[in-house]
Amino acid sequence: MKRLILTIVALSLCFFAKAQTVIDTLSTDALNELLIEQVERLAEDSDEDVDYEELLEQYIFLVENPVNLNSDDIIKLLELHLINVFQYEELQKYRRYYGDFLFLEELEMVEGFDEQTLAIIAPIVQIGKDNSRDKITLSKMARYGKHQVVGRYEQILEHQQGYDPISDSALLAKPNSRFLGSPQRYQLKYTYNYRNRIRAGFVLEKDPGEMFFTDHVSDTIKALLGDKYHRGFDFIGFHLYAKDLGIVKAAVLGDYQLSFGQGLTMWTGMNFGKIETGSSVMKQGRGITPKSSASEYSFMRGTAVTLGGGPFRGTVFYSNRKIDANITETDTLEAAEYVSSLQETGYHRTIGELLDRYAIRQQVVGGHLAYAVSHFEVGYTLHHTWLSAKLQLSPSNYNQFYFQGTQLTNQGIDFKYVKGKFAFFGEGAMSFNTDSTTLLSTSTGATALSRFAGLLGMTVKPTGYLNFTIFYHDYGKAYQNLFSNAFCEGSRNQGQRGVYLGVEVAPAPYWNLLAYADHFRFTWLTSQAYAPSWGHDYYLRLSHSFNRRTTAYLQIRSKTKMKNSTDGLVFSHYPIFYTKNSVRFNINYGFANGLVFSNKAEYAHYRNDDGSNSQGFFICQDVSYKPENKPFSLTFRYALFDTKDYDSRVYAYENDVLYSFSVPALYGKGMRVYLLGKWKPFNSLTLYTRIGSIIYTDRDEISSGLTLIEGKHKTDLKVEAIWKL
Amino acid sequence: MKKPLLLIVFITLTFSLFAHDFVNPIGGRAAAMGGCSVASRGLWAMQNNPAGMAYLDKFSLGLYYENRWLLPETAYKSAALAVPTKFGCLGLSFNQFGSSKYSENKFGLAYAKDFGPYLQIGLQLDYLLISLGNEYGRQSAVTFELGIQSQVTEKLRLGTYIFNPVSFKLEQSINQEKPPIVFRFGAAYQFTKDFVGLCEVEKNTDHEGVSLRGGLEYEVLKNFYLRAGAQTNPGLLSFGLGYEIRFARIDVAAQLHQILGASVQIGMIFSIGKRA
Repeated sequence: MKRLILTIVALSLCFFAKAQTVIDTLSTDALNELLIEQVERLAEDSDEDVDYEELLEQYIFLVENPVNLNSDDIIKLLELHLINVFQYEELQKYRRYYGDFLFLEELEMVEGFDEQTLAIIAPIVQIGKDNSRDKITLSKMARYGKHQVVGRYEQILEHQQGYDPISDSALLAKPNSRFLGSPQRYQLKYTYNYRNRIRAGFVLEKDPGEMFFTDHVSDTIKALLGDKYHRGFDFIGFHLYAKDLGIVKAAVLGDYQLSFGQGLTMWTGMNFGKIETGSSVMKQGRGITPKSSASEYSFMRGTAVTLGGGPFRGTVFYSNRKIDANITETDTLEAAEYVSSLQETGYHRTIGELLDRYAIRQQVVGGHLAYAVSHFEVGYTLHHTWLSAKLQLSPSNYNQFYFQGTQLTNQGIDFKYVKGKFAFFGEGAMSFNTDSTTLLSTSTGATALSRFAGLLGMTVKPTGYLNFTIFYHDYGKAYQNLFSNAFCEGSRNQGQRGVYLGVEVAPAPYWNLLAYADHFRFTWLTSQAYAPSWGHDYYLRLSHSFNRRTTAYLQIRSKTKMKNSTDGLVFSHYPIFYTKNSVRFNINYGFANGLVFSNKAEYAHYRNDDGSNSQGFFICQDVSYKPENKPFSLTFRYALFDTKDYDSRVYAYENDVLYSFSVPALYGKGMRVYLLGKWKPFNSLTLYTRIGSIIYTDRDEISSGLTLIEGKHKTDLKVEAIWKL
Repeated sequence: MKKPLLLIVFITLTFSLFAHDFVNPIGGRAAAMGGCSVASRGLWAMQNNPAGMAYLDKFSLGLYYENRWLLPETAYKSAALAVPTKFGCLGLSFNQFGSSKYSENKFGLAYAKDFGPYLQIGLQLDYLLISLGNEYGRQSAVTFELGIQSQVTEKLRLGTYIFNPVSFKLEQSINQEKPPIVFRFGAAYQFTKDFVGLCEVEKNTDHEGVSLRGGLEYEVLKNFYLRAGAQTNPGLLSFGLGYEIRFARIDVAAQLHQILGASVQIGMIFSIGKRA
């Protein structure tokens, strides 16, 4: 009651003063901009192509299914790093003191919720009754459940060399010289959601080059492929998920992701890498989450259940699925005996890729037990992995401590303590690999200690608008884990250690400064550097929102690492330093009629210690027209890029059809244009089309090998239909 | 594997030994905050920016020891004595880097005066002495360092400092060596009563490029400080703790260099007298 009066007083004050509440003055696309920045940073940091769809799946889910501020679902905001751990605590405290939220504007009164946070979360929260204890009946499920179907088609319009016609004999001589299928990508996805408590769905996908129903190959190729011959959708996934059914906190059947603690022992799927919320690198395990994306690597397929009671929460999981692997030795009767690598791309386009498809079986069984009291949480994770064939990497110095063999056990303890202005977090983990190959490498210098990995961090918030983080990680060179995804430099939670120091300040309203310094060291060789190496990463970002429709940021980054010298005169590899510096400025500004302009400029400088260096420049103008109360919108980009080589490449996020994300690496000289259109003919149907092109001025052929295009331009087309019921 | 690493360590060390090291930021507080010191106040300001000791109102004695890279040969020792008077604050200081085989010494006589909240000025006259062991003798020079600080607003203080602006030659040096000119500029911002953020930039003519520094200090409990900082060129991350009682304070710090490892710093200050 007290709170109700308080709220009414506060609100009426706002109205009488004819002032807008903060919520009304917020930038409309803050969440989107946050994700764009995160995704761009991730693209810069990862060497491989990242499947953003899988990464952003949960954010999109939130946009469509806002979190009820009066339910325990608010932890989702923390899990997805939209609020920090202190804000989460304040939110809990507010609810404890004043009871349920009645108005969204009340959020402004929660301590630590600044304009930026409000702008990010306002569109994805709602006020409702906590219905997590309601009975679920079939009739309710039929009435209130939401169905959604998404169909998408994608294609590079230019002819690529991999689709050239070829005779059987030539193909047999060079089996990987052609794609067997057609150049289209198709995806069909269905999801059902009943109040976030029951979810189900399936996804079908065919990548470019994979064989669809309409594709044919000759009998000789068919014979060569044997039982690997496959047409139709290459990837099929489904999930059935329920949560909050009495003591069953969550249960899943089908495809799912697991994440516990700080991700050192078990964290499938992707995460944003270094910075999570503000300066903090603290992660929040999500437990079991259903997987609805078409990502083909790093997920679980099977079943998992979380039971909870009092301060305890226990999860057991089992996964059994076939994964891609490169077979080196095959027994005629049995399946593969040895595999030389596990394939992560999910592509099955050529004969070679098809032969690797689902070559071995991976089984994972394990559990997690967590104990949580008011400020403290501790968890224990244990899991065991079997491969149906022995993994034997081609021997090299840098990979001698990598996982090899058939069985691997991992266990770890994680903890979290959040009170007042302090948050402490950490995880310690170790791996057991009983196979002889590793015993061999143990004798070559991997001590028992090097099978351990640990991380420890502290985030402090001296005052509401300021926080800083000190973080240390040390992962042993023989710490092996197929599902580890904690803070690291590069992509491997193995053989590295480092110290991170980050600070975030909001020196004035609508201003935000984020800076970090990260020093890291690889304690063993990497595939890039044939000696232990080190480097550092400095980052600074200053952002400001001038008003509701105008936001800008300036980002400066300098990263130094080591890699083998490519100097031809040197007879042995030795690592040298290389540094990439970049400056980026971005501004978005809109007008009342629905027109939004956006500019981005980036300068990148790459320097190698052997003397070579290169520079890159990118500039773009985006125009989008999103009239209110009209069923359509249009987005257009014109960009120029000029970089000397791949080293000084520039990553630029592009607007895309819903549920799809592209952050192409642009290098060379040329321009990039695209046009994205959205049309909503009925309430239940939305159509998207995007056509984009890269036009090079410095080359006559694009890419190489199977994806070679003879010409100066590369055009991509995407069409998507979303049907909601 | 160890050997090339050792070699690198040796070479890097040798390089840093070529550069004179008279003006390393002194004090456990500065060391813990990435070397940020130009806008700081206190006894150690005598060595980092003499203007910062203008406000001192107690008779203070400070001792500082840095075990750089945990090698006794590269230790850095410092002592300072401040005597507040009616006309400003007077100080005596001594720094020594190195061992008996090679050492760099700086003897200083400092004076700082407070011209109201907007301006403090400090000056230190220095006698520099490089001792190259028995066979090679000694080199020496006389120079000075100058600094100003200004409390621009209640929360923001700026500082500028220059060491050896005229760059005198070292007497008896074979290659006409000169001590470096060092210029620092920086700010301290008091975000809240218990939280300070510092940043500064330093140019040392003996080093290529400039060094950027940032540091923060949080008073976790009353008189108990937690500090962290970062510095580029050379890249260092640093951490430290400080504790203050009525007549003494102790500050410890650790600086982590990526190649050379850790350095440990400890500083103590004893003060006698009443606050004026």
